[in-house]
Order: sequence, then structure tokens, then C-alpha cells
Amino acid sequence: MKRPLQKRSDGLGKESPSDNRSPKELQSIVLNYLHERFGLHHSKFENFGFYMASKGRLYLGPKKLPVGPEIVSVGLLIGRLHQAVKPSTNLLQLFGSQVSKNFVEFQKEQVISYAKGEDVRLIEGQMTNSSPGYVLLKYGKTSLGCGLLQVGVVKNMLPKAKRLELKYL
Amino acid sequence: MLLPQPFKDRYSQLVDDPETFFSILEVLLPKSFRVNTLKSTSEEVKESFERYGIGLKQMDWYPDAFVSELPDIGSTLEHFSGAIYFQELVSMLPPLLVRKELETTKRVLDGCAAPGSKTTQLAALMDNKGTITANDLSYSRIRALKFNIEKTGTLNTVITNRDLLSFPQMEFGVIILDVPCSAEGTIRKNAELFDCWSIAEVEKHSKLQKKLIIKAFDMLSPGGTMVYSTCTFAPEENEMVVEHLLKNRPAQVEPIEIPGFKTSKPVTEWAGQEFDSQVSKTLRIWPHHNDSGGFFLAKVTK
Repeated sequence: MKRPLQKRSDGLGKESPSDNRSPKELQSIVLNYLHERFGLHHSKFENFGFYMASKGRLYLGPKKLPVGPEIVSVGLLIGRLHQAVKPSTNLLQLFGSQVSKNFVEFQKEQVISYAKGEDVRLIEGQMTNSSPGYVLLKYGKTSLGCGLLQVGVVKNMLPKAKRLELKYL
Repeated sequence: MLLPQPFKDRYSQLVDDPETFFSILEVLLPKSFRVNTLKSTSEEVKESFERYGIGLKQMDWYPDAFVSELPDIGSTLEHFSGAIYFQELVSMLPPLLVRKELETTKRVLDGCAAPGSKTTQLAALMDNKGTITANDLSYSRIRALKFNIEKTGTLNTVITNRDLLSFPQMEFGVIILDVPCSAEGTIRKNAELFDCWSIAEVEKHSKLQKKLIIKAFDMLSPGGTMVYSTCTFAPEENEMVVEHLLKNRPAQVEPIEIPGFKTSKPVTEWAGQEFDSQVSKTLRIWPHHNDSGGFFLAKVTK
């Protein structure tokens, strides 16, 4: 399971042998996506470095990496890049307060369902800030994570390890 | 719980109030957490817990540290979102002791990092700037380290999976060395600890710790600072390890102050050996003084 990074520095490693896009190209695909979809401008990430691991996994970490030891992992997984970008819950939790579009504000019962790992039906008026695709889920000021918005429903994208039975919210 | 007689015998000589000490070891450790300032603030967390009706005690010595009256805080929204991180009070001390140094140092090593309590706290104190190398020997524990780094929104880390003793020669301005130990100070959350406790175990740990402290010191940049810590009471793993460092390297031990937290003087001699006078600047934390776990701390500069 130990998978060192394939490439590092200011760009991305190649996603797979069949992916002919350059590291710079891959990085700008991700940055443009985050800007267009969530209003997260490139400048929010300028103090960090982007790193690509196997299976299209993309990490945000320190700009400069120490030279010497073999590195197992860098920073946090911000998403996966295949045909499109799939943002991670950890990314949206961290930058959620700066997201200006494509977010859904949940009500209490919906948060409890979401935290259990269930898909969540939306009620009228909850989709006004969003178009179908990945969205940030919010409850008050709290950024909950990532969901996939379809017509009238948010598909749950919460990793199993993060699921829990919420009692206090 | 029946404490082994050799354990009682040796610590009766070292502790101020043996009876209170031995009796608190039978009491379960209160649930404590740290507010993750990468995602929230103490004020926000206090407001939420007040709304839930869960009583909190905020620590004077570290306003981001809290003790909860309810153990079941794993089902709060704050735990879910990574706004709080469960951490023993004493485990919050090593990063706090280098708070000032972290303002100017960009290269930090957490030598025995898993499961990541101190790494994520360091990152919060550094506001995700600089670079923390979070190393752990155990690959199975790296998974928990990675999970906690990601959950807390920690960005300024790289994880390495090496035996620290064979770590490539690099320099760090700050090193946190919370070494593997006999963990006597964790008895309040691990009642089975004494099933395999023995002096031989203590001595085995001491041997490794002496090697680790030398290796870590050699990786400090000139002027750099290291915090050596254990969660055990055994002088062999605490003062004697610092004594070993002082005998073999030109290390300076710095005085430690934690206003609002009761600390105790270290042992100045053990097993017929009198220690270097610098060892007296290290400190011990006994569980009955702050209703915490047991701990030992040494702050060393190069």
C-alpha cells in the first residue's frame, strides 16, 4: 500500500501512462475547476504546492518538500482527477467558508442523514445557489463536506471512515 | 486495579503524596480536546457546547484546551467537522513549549508522530505555514496519522515512514521527540497497562530512547530547539535519557514555564547516579496535580 508520490515540485506528476496532459496542464484544470465551480480563486492556493499520486489523486501540501527521506504522503487529498475533477470532503471543509457558489444549506435532519452516509432529498428552494454537479454542503457556518447534486437529491460522497451518528448539532 | 508492588515501591519515594497518586490512577481520565484553530475558534466551540448543554472547562494555561463533562463528545458536529480534536491535556504541552520558536522556524520534525495529535497541533500553531516532517516507524499507525492530518485540514506536512535512527541527515529548527515509552502515565485510560509492565520493559525503552535523543539532537540546526517527552514516570526513561544526552553532546537544557499548570521538579539522582545540574531544568507532571495523565518534559537547545 505504500505509494510514494510519482512526481513533485511545482507541477503535477502524470496521472497515468495514458494521460498525455502535462503537469502544468493538469494543475490548471484543477485550479480552473475550483474557481469556476466554487469561486475559489487561484490566489487562495498560491502558498501551497500541488502533488499528484497514483489513481488521479491530487494533494495540496507545502510549497517546498524536504529533500532526503522517501515521502509517503503530502498534505491533504483535495480530490481526484479523471475525466473531471472530484473534490474531497476535507478540501471543502477547510475552504468552505470561502466558497461563494454551488453550495447547499442543509437543515438539521438532513445533516444527521448526511453524517450517517445517506443520500439526502432536498426541499423546495434549497437548490437556488447550485447547478448539478459537486457541491459544498453547509449547516449554519459549518462546512460539512462534498456532495453530488442531482435533481432534487444530494448523493452522499462522505468516506466511510468519516461517517457517524450525530447527536449534538 | 492492583498496582504491582515494585511499581508502588519505586514511586512512593518520588512522589509528594503517594496515597493520592495511587488512588487517582484508578480514576478514568476526563475527556479532553483541543480546538483546531485551522477550522474554528474557542469562542465558537464554547457557544456550540453551551447550546448542547454540555459543560466545558477551559484551561487557563491554553485557552484552546478543554475538558468536557460528557465523555460522548464524539457525536458532536464539531468532532465531525474537525473543529475539535480529542487529545490528552499533557500531550498538548510539547508543541506549546516551542510556540515562540515556531514563529521563526520553518522546518519542523515530529520524530514519532502517529497518530498525529502533536503534528496537527504544531500545524495549527504555525497556521499551516512552513513544513512539518511527520515521521513514524510503524506503517500501520501512519494510516491514523494521515487520517488525522486530513481531517484537521493540515496542509503543511509530509509523512515519512522511517526508523528515526536511520533517518537521512537533515537539519530542523524545531524537533518534537515524544518517544515510545513504558507509558505508565497512561494507566488512567489503559487499565491493562500493568499486565505487561516490568522493570525490564522500562530498561529496554531506555536503551532505545538514549539512541533516539542523540540522533534527534544531531539533526537540530545550530540554535535549534528540541522537546523530549515521555508519558511515563520511570527515571530511566526520563532524567537518565537527558543525562545521557548531556554526557555525549554539547546540549543546553532550557527552563520550562507553563503558567497555570502544576509541574514538579525532576529526580536529581537515581540508582546511585547523580545527574548533571542541567537535568534539574526538566520537569515532571504527576496525574493528581492537574487531574491529567503523567508526563515528563525536557526542552533542549543546540
